[in-house]
Amino acid sequence: MAVADRRNRGAILALTGPAYLWLTATIFLPLSAMLYCSFLDKSPLVPQPPVLTLKHYAAFIDKAVYQQLMLWSLELGAIVTLCCLVIGYPAALALAKVIKGRWREAMFLMVVLPFWSNALVRTFSWAMVLRPGGIADQAIHVVVPGAPALNVLYSYPAVVIGLVHSYLPYMILTCYISLQAIDDSVIEAARSLGARSGALFRRVVFPMSLPGVLAGSALIFVPAVGSFMEPRILGGAKGATLGMAIEEQFTVTANWPFGAALSFMMLAAVLLICLALYPVARKRMEGL
Amino acid sequence: MKIGPALLTVHLWLVLVFLYVPILVMAVLGFNASPLYALPFQFDLVWYKALAGNAKLIDAGINSIGIAIVNTAIATALGTMAALAFARYKFRGQTILQLLLFPPVAIPWLVIGTSMLVFFFWIDIKRGLFAILLGHVALSLPYVIVVVGARLATFPRAVEEAAATLGATPWQTFRRVTAPLLAPGVIGGALFAFAVSFDQFVISYFLAPPGITTLPVEIYGAIRKGFTPEINAISTIIIVVSMGALLLTARFYRFGGER
Amino acid sequence: MSTVAVTDAVKKYGAVAALDGVTMTFREGEFFGLLGPSGSGKTTLLRAIAGFVSLDRGQVLIDGKDVSGVPVHARDIGMMFQNYALFPHMSVAENVAFGLEVRGRPREEVADRVKAALAMVRLGGLEQRRPKQLSGGQQQRVALARALVTRPKVLLLDEPLGALDKHLRQEMQVELRRIQRQVGITTIFVTHDQEEALTLSDRIAIFDSGRIIQEGAPMAVYERPVTKFAAGFLGEANFLQGSVAAREPNGLARIALQIGGDASCRLSDGQVGQTVLLALRPEKITLGEGGHAGVNALRGKVLDVVFSGNSTTYRISVGDQVMILFRQNLAQGTVAPGSDVLVSWSPEHLVQVTP
Repeated sequence: MAVADRRNRGAILALTGPAYLWLTATIFLPLSAMLYCSFLDKSPLVPQPPVLTLKHYAAFIDKAVYQQLMLWSLELGAIVTLCCLVIGYPAALALAKVIKGRWREAMFLMVVLPFWSNALVRTFSWAMVLRPGGIADQAIHVVVPGAPALNVLYSYPAVVIGLVHSYLPYMILTCYISLQAIDDSVIEAARSLGARSGALFRRVVFPMSLPGVLAGSALIFVPAVGSFMEPRILGGAKGATLGMAIEEQFTVTANWPFGAALSFMMLAAVLLICLALYPVARKRMEGL
Repeated sequence: MKIGPALLTVHLWLVLVFLYVPILVMAVLGFNASPLYALPFQFDLVWYKALAGNAKLIDAGINSIGIAIVNTAIATALGTMAALAFARYKFRGQTILQLLLFPPVAIPWLVIGTSMLVFFFWIDIKRGLFAILLGHVALSLPYVIVVVGARLATFPRAVEEAAATLGATPWQTFRRVTAPLLAPGVIGGALFAFAVSFDQFVISYFLAPPGITTLPVEIYGAIRKGFTPEINAISTIIIVVSMGALLLTARFYRFGGER
Repeated sequence: MSTVAVTDAVKKYGAVAALDGVTMTFREGEFFGLLGPSGSGKTTLLRAIAGFVSLDRGQVLIDGKDVSGVPVHARDIGMMFQNYALFPHMSVAENVAFGLEVRGRPREEVADRVKAALAMVRLGGLEQRRPKQLSGGQQQRVALARALVTRPKVLLLDEPLGALDKHLRQEMQVELRRIQRQVGITTIFVTHDQEEALTLSDRIAIFDSGRIIQEGAPMAVYERPVTKFAAGFLGEANFLQGSVAAREPNGLARIALQIGGDASCRLSDGQVGQTVLLALRPEKITLGEGGHAGVNALRGKVLDVVFSGNSTTYRISVGDQVMILFRQNLAQGTVAPGSDVLVSWSPEHLVQVTP
């Protein structure tokens, strides 16, 4: 590994420059632009001299409906994250510690593959399954004939199911990586000291896999809070989220400044939550 | 812990069922004759034939593939260069640069897409395929850098020095030693970039003007209008393409070249 | 067969001098060992000769010509790396052929020379294998064949035997010397293992903090170390401090030892009253049970006895110091701990060293 000195600096700049210039132009500058936009009085679509105001942020604070939307969205994010954790962690545990050899690689691939395929298509596939007359409906009727028609589609649970399906592999992936890194000899040492399965899991395995749990949670919570496509397809008009409201500001209402303000409020809320949990997380992960 | 492992394994299989059954159901229904998804199942390719006549979908498909290919070329080139810099040199600011790769992945695409919309409007880049391409490359870059970076981490550095002592000029060393050893990682990153671009919905949704779309955006519009098996057909095709690309990535990343 | 020379080499990394003025000439065909603790500069010197490190000051000369500006690939050297650095995506034959191919040698010539090189390291028949299918020892032979097939001017070895287990190591040491003598190439190698340096080298140089402390034939450096560091680094040594009591006519000097008693040895310089430090190798001390203390003989008490097969190590307290003694196990049995003993030596085994 060459230590950077004057000769290398040119090479480093040439190698990293293009990629980061691109990122600046397409991510960081646009985010700044959006921040600026959130302070504009009227939408920039109408040509006029810019007037700065805080009224869009004020609107958020004034109108209870948006705060409600924010809470619902945060709640949705939390529920989805929790479900992913409860369903995904045991699956990751199975992959990391129970399955061995070629099976492990094959099953890992099978778990991760859907995640990287088209989210829209996967959401649509759940709509297929959950709609009245769909497979789930028909399966239930096979088992319990005479049951009422399944009306899960266009409801909150459907949105949760769709989001969990979308992001579950993320949690499995991060937990798997963390669990796999736990040396088998540590587990053997714990057993030799008398730990039974319950204590072994609670006091050794889970704490050591915490980084994976937290990484997965962060990677799921944030996009889930900001989701709009899944709520729209699976929740219909009823599944209202902040993400959908923001999307409307940009497509239907054309009130960009307000949409921008809502976006940053959402980012701020998520950031606050992460910052609040950070010290706790840091302490728990000491030494790992 | 005798029951434990068995239960965990069962759970894992159930998770796999959960992940794949909806997709399979959707795919199967695309081959069903009934336009209302009514059973009993009757195999028919009518919906796939209808696709061939659906000019809008075909245009969108061509756009998607075209953007994905260009995106792959650009993102792979830029990302590989950056990954090389991270692996070969140790410099101040390296950590910051690596941290900066997180926002495109961590910030909701809704926010990224809308802010691109705002920014491009102000610098007078019209909505369209070029704007969509700009966005796709930005999203692909972190993945390429991570995949190639992981490959570089296992790269035996001394072989390049060995080649030099054996008389190979820097170009010969690159051509005969570095490039072949890097290739699996770069190809893996490229396939990843292709999949990210081909599947990307949110950014394309905001940056697509009326009349010009990519496949996912087109499908979204169709879904909003109502479910038809034609959507199943095109969705199945998309899933097969992107899963295929990713299976290839896995093959190159884990099993290809030298492990 | 070429000569290599380094004149006044200086290389600094920030405030630390990895090389602090090193001058050395490596003779044609000799097997030269660079020895020293980690960070002492030996690897930096090797890499400077190879061309991976550019000196801040000083020159590297191959066959009398300054190669400081010449890039690595044009220096015509052969190098073996600590982890062999074989090309994982090429077969054994392709690995060995690499140096010839990049020089544009015709295909038939390459095939012949590769075959001969592999035969020389006794690896004929493994041409099509991949490196990861070979054992450590086999990989190393491939690396050696690859480095030598181009007939370079000098062979550079960077801790080549470090990754091998003891038995394999000794086997490879013999192989390495055999091949080197057969080919006659000037060889410079780096090691931190002093036993290896002693067994393999025609000459060695001991490094400390970027400087060469001492150089010469292994036996000379071992028996006549110049500094305390050199004495302590190559094998074990007891250090006796004392002051010159008297000088005798035949060049000997009488020294009053700090631990009590007198020593007598040849001193090149040393005025009466001057403090001197003397090194004494453990295998040069005789252990006796009876006898009186006298010049070059002291009484002490056995603290510890460690039996190691062909020899026994004794730790003996003499005065307020602990001395170490090796004794070959000729059928004498061992002296029990706690015994009162006499340790004695002859004057030519005391070496004056600078602290």
